Amino acid sequence: MEPLPQFSILHPSTADEAARMRAENPDARFLAGGTDLMVNIRRGIERPSAVIDLGGIADLSSVSMAGNGDLRIGASVTLDRLIEDESIVSRFPVLVEAAKQVAGSTHRTMATVGGNLCLDTRCLFYNQSEWWRQSNDYCLKHRGEVCHVAPTGKRCHAAFSGDLAPALLVLGAEAEIVGPDGTRTIPLADLYRDDGADHLTLANGELLTAVTVPAASQSFVAGYEKNRVRGGIDFPLAGVAVALRRDGSSLAGLRVALTGTNSFPLLIDGADDLNGGTVDEALLDALQKLVMKQVQPMRSTLTASNYRRTVACALARRLTARLFAQA
Amino acid sequence: MSTVAKARKAAGDRLPLIDGIEKVSGSARYTADLDARGALVGRIYRSPYPHAEILSVDISEAEKLPGVVKIITGDVCDMTYGVIPVAQNEYPLARDKVRYCGEPVAAVAAIDAETAEKALSLIRMEVRELPAYFEAAESREPGAEELHEKKAGNIDRDVHHEFGDVEAGFADADVVLEDTYDCEEVTHLHIEPHAALAEYDPHRGWLTLHSVTQVPYYVHLMLARCMKMDTAHIRVIKPFIGGGFGARTETLNFEIITALLAREAGGKVRMVLNREETFLTHRGRPKTHIRLKLGAMKDGKLTACQAEVVQRGGAYGGYGIVTILYAGALLNALYDIPAVRYDGYRVYTNTPPCGAMRGHGTVDVRFAFETLMDRMAGELGLDPFAIRRRNLLPPCPTETINGLKITSYGLPECLDYAEEASGWKDRNGADRTVQGAPHLRKGLGMGCSHYVSGAAKPVHWTGEPHAVINLKLDFDGGITILTGASDIGQGSSTILAQAVAEVLGVDYARLRVIANDSAITPKDNGSYSSRVTYMVGNAAIDAANNLKTILIEAAARKLDAHIDDIECLGEVYRVAGSQDPGLPFNEVVIEALVDTGTLTVKGTFTVPKEFQGGKHRGGAVGPSMGYSYAATAVAVTVDIDTAQVTVDNVWTALDCGFAINPLSVEGQVQGAVWMGLGQAMSEETRYHEGLPFTANMLDYRVPSIVESPGIKVKIVESIDPNGPFGAKEASEGALSSFMPALAAAVENAVGVRLHETPITPDRLMDALIRKRRENKRAASKGAA
Repeated sequence: MEPLPQFSILHPSTADEAARMRAENPDARFLAGGTDLMVNIRRGIERPSAVIDLGGIADLSSVSMAGNGDLRIGASVTLDRLIEDESIVSRFPVLVEAAKQVAGSTHRTMATVGGNLCLDTRCLFYNQSEWWRQSNDYCLKHRGEVCHVAPTGKRCHAAFSGDLAPALLVLGAEAEIVGPDGTRTIPLADLYRDDGADHLTLANGELLTAVTVPAASQSFVAGYEKNRVRGGIDFPLAGVAVALRRDGSSLAGLRVALTGTNSFPLLIDGADDLNGGTVDEALLDALQKLVMKQVQPMRSTLTASNYRRTVACALARRLTARLFAQA
Repeated sequence: MSTVAKARKAAGDRLPLIDGIEKVSGSARYTADLDARGALVGRIYRSPYPHAEILSVDISEAEKLPGVVKIITGDVCDMTYGVIPVAQNEYPLARDKVRYCGEPVAAVAAIDAETAEKALSLIRMEVRELPAYFEAAESREPGAEELHEKKAGNIDRDVHHEFGDVEAGFADADVVLEDTYDCEEVTHLHIEPHAALAEYDPHRGWLTLHSVTQVPYYVHLMLARCMKMDTAHIRVIKPFIGGGFGARTETLNFEIITALLAREAGGKVRMVLNREETFLTHRGRPKTHIRLKLGAMKDGKLTACQAEVVQRGGAYGGYGIVTILYAGALLNALYDIPAVRYDGYRVYTNTPPCGAMRGHGTVDVRFAFETLMDRMAGELGLDPFAIRRRNLLPPCPTETINGLKITSYGLPECLDYAEEASGWKDRNGADRTVQGAPHLRKGLGMGCSHYVSGAAKPVHWTGEPHAVINLKLDFDGGITILTGASDIGQGSSTILAQAVAEVLGVDYARLRVIANDSAITPKDNGSYSSRVTYMVGNAAIDAANNLKTILIEAAARKLDAHIDDIECLGEVYRVAGSQDPGLPFNEVVIEALVDTGTLTVKGTFTVPKEFQGGKHRGGAVGPSMGYSYAATAVAVTVDIDTAQVTVDNVWTALDCGFAINPLSVEGQVQGAVWMGLGQAMSEETRYHEGLPFTANMLDYRVPSIVESPGIKVKIVESIDPNGPFGAKEASEGALSSFMPALAAAVENAVGVRLHETPITPDRLMDALIRKRRENKRAASKGAA
């Protein structure tokens, strides 16, 4: 294991203080569970002069219910706690389903909701040692000029690989962000942009403090299916979350979101157009077309991108059919 | 003394490994845990180029860095190293050329890790880049740059063997089938990364090296060679090690580099490689392309076999010659084949050097062979078990066409177990679907394999015995077993203790094993080719018998009886048939020490000449005194939506001759099968322009516990006439039966047979899509 380089550790006690510290130290990094950040620091991908430890901010580590029934999950809540939380288990089991499939069991005791949502994008040419990346002339995402995944293009194709984001997206979650100018709330989808090198829309000094799941989403049944080579440890090659509502024999609401296939967690556009019909082969074919068109797996993993596309479609179909039968 | 205990049966005892307590309690000290007070930190500067001529290595800036004690380059060592005396073409630090990304070029000894790291970043290397080849086919193309002098076509070694009349065999056959197979490269992934601790005493000119090696003796020889030191001035110690699997069966560059650094710095250097560097050091199983042809009669009897094997060997020789020879030699000895032709090519490429890995040379070829056997069975309307039974070896002792002597053969019993335990007979006509899960299909497959119990001819032919054991017995009554055999987790120290306990009948508590310190223990060739139980085990039996003779003589003197009348009950010696309480062990020892003092007794084992193989070139690889046999059945579930394979159950029977320790044998078989599972399902090393894509434990997908099925093990005991208590090897033979069995189970489930490993979901998905297209085309043709 590579030795850790020198950096200082800052201990803010409020989110505002954390945001201020970050604004003052633009090359500092927020530290929650550290399961992603520390690996990247050891690999020399990140070389922060300071890390801002969010562990001491009490407000970030609670799960609470608002008066209107909305569920608020603090960014520092660990995945293990999320999995155990009664209100989440009973109201939004899809989050538990997704959280349980993140990494290995020991990681989940450290890894947090905020960390998983802000997970750095991943790529075979990026998640390598300093020696490796230097030998390969670095890459567009870090210190280099070229994206080795698609050398003729101008963008970075590193893939977003968090498992919680698609599950939260289909539940219509919002992100609570604290920054130098105060607190703002945005749809979770707006936290991301389609750029592997810069996939988060957070401005300098801004910090994700919580996600809120609207109470209304309880009327959906939702599920998450993750494809990976190994049933433990691995990041998703394709992960699919589906939430749907059923009205008698017809579909009254459908949301589909994917991870592992694009540079951001992808909420499928046009899924709602399928409402009104029943879930039959024709509807599933139409859904498959939507997914096929919008997913963009690139050669950012060893597993062929064509496979990831095929599997994303298959899982979306299967999950939709299962949830419809169950609803 | 009121009771006289009967001598215990130590051979066959399910004894937990004698070094297990230290390992599970965390008190075992591995190389990186050793006392490194005062040690400098060693780090290696590695080539970023896959193939280049070195123009200069500038260390001047790095040397100026405060805290840097010594920096060395290829200039410090002009001697090559390598395990095979005729193929030593590697420098510890590159001199003229670098031939793979990651090849060591310079090394730093500094006061701490941070300084060493910083120093590496200040080293500048000037090169002239050369064309690089990452696949065997590119390397072999006409006009390709030669990686090594006098190696035309970049062929490290080609082998052309023909035994029997192959042409006639194919002409006589009712059916001849031919196919090609491709297996990706895999690596050992021992859990402990490489490490070495070297201490040089400049006053005496002595060097002590602690390392993670499976072969301390070879390391000793290579240190002497590369450092131009007298072997007497070197001491090599192997502490606890966290796995080997063949990665450490030859001297590795970091071991020599650490020693060179220590000498140049005039002190102690600790070198701990990270996981990426451990991958780069490699010596794994080469990427292999196989073309295989089999001929058979209608009843399934094989008439001829022809195999062409191309191995992407990597940049240097290493064990490569042996790998390519094993691939051909062990086409024989599993089944009775009257004619075999083998053409093998071990090719140099600009990738990390391959070497020995569990099942050395045989695994990929066995995958191909068993797969084609199944196809042959299908063509002939035979059951996979039936075609194998039709091709069993004749009764033992027998000899194969390439001169391998088979003295025990438990394959028939292995087949019986795999067939019965797996419920094979219900396979035909069984419903492959799963109720309530329309996307799942079930399948069952089988395969067989075998392996040597130690190479009959040692790498260095010195005329010494193949194995030596010393036993020391002193005033305290404790017996110290001194051995050079490396316990690498396979349990060799435990087996030696059991062998001695069995012969002498003493309590285990009287025995201590001291292993792997060249200053103390007798030389041993090392732990590879599954030689230790067979060879060192026999030497231990010999040593114990020699000690027993001395003790019986002492007891006879003391009891005033004839030696033939002395009965040894282990902890007590008495006159046979008498009602005497007899002499306790300690009293026998006191008598035995009279006039002579401390007893040091030796036992040896030498493989008889007639077992050492044929006279043909390359005939030294393959011969062994005993061959293990295995049959495996695998049950899988395949998800046809995602092409993911789940292994539900594995049944493996292994003929290990006799299980000296059944508990340990079961563990070794499970480990071998599991390693086969990794290669079959998900493990592969891949490169990008020579840079390893998978040099970490996330991208190199060794199975996690989720993918690890229950593995039921049946021990078959054929009692080998020459093995220790009848034992043969138990750690490698079962491995290669798994891959073909898995591919067969997948075919049984979904109707496609993969000729590539690993059978990852994307490879299987491609095959399923191809098949659906073919079916569609066939259907539309039929409709037309």
